[in-house]
Amino acid sequence: MLMVPTVHWIEFGHFCAVLALLVAWAQGMAPILARLFRRPAWAGLSITGAYLCAILVSLGAASLVHAFVSDNFSVAYVAQNSNSMLPLLYKVSALWGGHEGSLYLWALVLCLYTALLAWRGRTAFPGHRPLVLAVQGWLVFGFLGLILFLSNPFERLLPVPLDGRDLNPLLQDPGMAIHPPMLYLGYVGFSVPFAFALAALISRWPSVEWIGHVRRWALIAWMFLTTGIVLGGWWAYYELGWGGYWAWDPVENASFMPWLTGTALVHSLAVQENRRLLHGWNLFLIITTFALSLLGTFLVRSGVLSSVHAFAVDPGRGGYILAFMAVVLCVSFGLLFLRGGHQSADERILALLSRESLFLGNNVLFVVACLTVFIGTLYPLFLDLTMEEKITVAAPYFNAVVIPLLLLAVTLMAVGPSVPWRKARPDRLLRKFRWPAVAAVIAGLLILALAWPAPLVAPIAVMLVVFGAWLIVSDLWADAGRRAQGKGEFRAVALVRVVLGKRRHYGGMLTHMGVLVAVIGLTAAGLFKQSVSVSLVAGQSFVVGSEELRFDGVRLLKKDNYEAVRGEFVVAGGGVILRPEQRRYPVQTAPTTEAAIDSTLLRDLYLVLSPGEDESWNVRAYVNPLVQWIWIGVALMVAGVLLGLSDRGTRRKTRAAAA
Amino acid sequence: MIRAGLVLAGLLLFGAVDAGEPGLVAEDPDHRQMLEVAKQLRCAVCQNQSVAESNSGLAEDMRAVITEKLAEGESEQAVLDYFVARYGGYILMKPESQGKNWLLWWSPLVVLLLVLGLGYRFLRGQRVVPPAPPGLSDAERAAVARARAGLEE
Repeated sequence: MLMVPTVHWIEFGHFCAVLALLVAWAQGMAPILARLFRRPAWAGLSITGAYLCAILVSLGAASLVHAFVSDNFSVAYVAQNSNSMLPLLYKVSALWGGHEGSLYLWALVLCLYTALLAWRGRTAFPGHRPLVLAVQGWLVFGFLGLILFLSNPFERLLPVPLDGRDLNPLLQDPGMAIHPPMLYLGYVGFSVPFAFALAALISRWPSVEWIGHVRRWALIAWMFLTTGIVLGGWWAYYELGWGGYWAWDPVENASFMPWLTGTALVHSLAVQENRRLLHGWNLFLIITTFALSLLGTFLVRSGVLSSVHAFAVDPGRGGYILAFMAVVLCVSFGLLFLRGGHQSADERILALLSRESLFLGNNVLFVVACLTVFIGTLYPLFLDLTMEEKITVAAPYFNAVVIPLLLLAVTLMAVGPSVPWRKARPDRLLRKFRWPAVAAVIAGLLILALAWPAPLVAPIAVMLVVFGAWLIVSDLWADAGRRAQGKGEFRAVALVRVVLGKRRHYGGMLTHMGVLVAVIGLTAAGLFKQSVSVSLVAGQSFVVGSEELRFDGVRLLKKDNYEAVRGEFVVAGGGVILRPEQRRYPVQTAPTTEAAIDSTLLRDLYLVLSPGEDESWNVRAYVNPLVQWIWIGVALMVAGVLLGLSDRGTRRKTRAAAA
Repeated sequence: MIRAGLVLAGLLLFGAVDAGEPGLVAEDPDHRQMLEVAKQLRCAVCQNQSVAESNSGLAEDMRAVITEKLAEGESEQAVLDYFVARYGGYILMKPESQGKNWLLWWSPLVVLLLVLGLGYRFLRGQRVVPPAPPGLSDAERAAVARARAGLEE
């Protein structure tokens, strides 16, 4: 009788992942062996390796997704993070719902970036392609090693459980389905500048040839990291039900640190590209940003944040992570120390008042902010380890120390683009700043009068926003006016053509505009939030802010993956109905709250429902002014980066420089 | 913009809203005072949430204790001290600035001054005026003069 072999896709995927580990090793070794045995052709193996790794790791991911979708609970990771009742979308996103799968997603993203880099490198940097890919190969090797030996998502269970333990209810949400991939596209994106930096240090590759590529990749990574962080905040806002979006939680701080140094980096790379300055500093920032991305992943994934002792329970995983970080840091900073001399500036800063020295100021502020977040996040761990003492370092601390630094950074952002490279003339600057400054002071006084007694941050933020926005808009208007006159076009046409003609400049300005819009939202929502908490029975009304709401009772609701109690609240005057829920998921029974939010440009009305005594229900209601401006501002920031990246001129220029 | 201002002003005047209408439930002022205290305390079993924000059972119990103590006439500070005595400094959302946390509170300033100092030193070092390009030698000068004379002819 012919035996029909049953295909175990998950084992096939596991096999692919193991094979990928070997291929990654070869990818990393290829240029080294080529050098040792004087066979330059061998180096090209790392290119083949990059493509092969991406295919193998993708196959592994596909087999995991298959296991989730087909409810294969013989896979331990699937049994822990899924359930047969789970909707399809969450079965797929459950892949990154736990520790093992998150690390696997990291490795997958890394392999995809590497393959993309191999493809771009054909024409953009053919000579250094193997070396850049080899650096990436070692990173893939390190990650796959951790995954396969210490946190393997392919592990099987015997006996096979009948059903899975379900995905954490908080993660059963579209926002949480896309937040981790975006965040990882950001984190891992910084591995590309890192690989360029190491390759340049090793091979004494002159920075004019790679700086353009690195700037573009760093911007892409920064854009994804920004999106990922904000998606996380947005998710926390509507899912966690405490009326806020950012709590300075250690997990959030872990992603904020590489964002801060990454922001410094995308600015100081521009200095290097335009003025041939700060070469060594940029290499330092590239390495630091990537190291912080690693640290962020590990802080969140190792469990060290929830308790120092959780880390010690699993010394294998913790030890590996520490060793991996130590190797990355020693090799990269060692190379910078030994070979950094070859990557040195060709020019000097000529004047204290110049765009490059303001950029330097920006770098100082962002690096100090990052160090502050670092200290605040790790200080409780440090105290716990050394003195067995526990303290809480939370929002009050970070708000007090980081916000002033960021306000200073916004000040530089508003002023910077008006200051020319090399040497600025103070009299010209003063003339240019006169009217915007007057407008800013008026706006600040107006806010003080309207919102008295308001914290000082409010008028300061408003002044900065008015000042900065005025300069951006008036520059654009003048630029368009010059073109309209010169070419005889309508001003509106000239405006569009000017923006499209100088995409890199106006992309940056659009991003700055997005920051200003977000600053308005952050200030208003942070300082002028209103909240009440009341206990109600059906038919009663209450007031929050300037709105009156009537409670119309609750209804029971049954869905595939949960049951819910849903309240109905009618907003007086507008006919808007808000329906906050309290949900109960069948497997993991802890109730979750689902806030109801009515958003307009001016305010979010935000309701959270919980059972009270007897027949009554407890309601917490918030009026959060201008929250939508935060999300709009971030959308503008991302649009600005995309506009800047679409600049074909710089792409052609970098290609010419590389050739 | 005017409308935004009006709404903002409305929000700020919220305290003056008349809650005396029939059927309208107003927030208990004692409850508000309780939340003020709860905001400064950490929910010990939660990730980084204050007692005012958390929905956990422990936070609910702590809110009840705060309400009770405030009703007995204790001051807000006395209630905070009560929790610190039982849970340690961990329970405060804002770590005390005196004592052993000096490192935490002062280090941002120290780091800022340090990095500013380094940046300034770097800038000073940069500002050395680059030496003027070496001038022409006498022989070259003569050659240039001859060439110019030749051109003018």
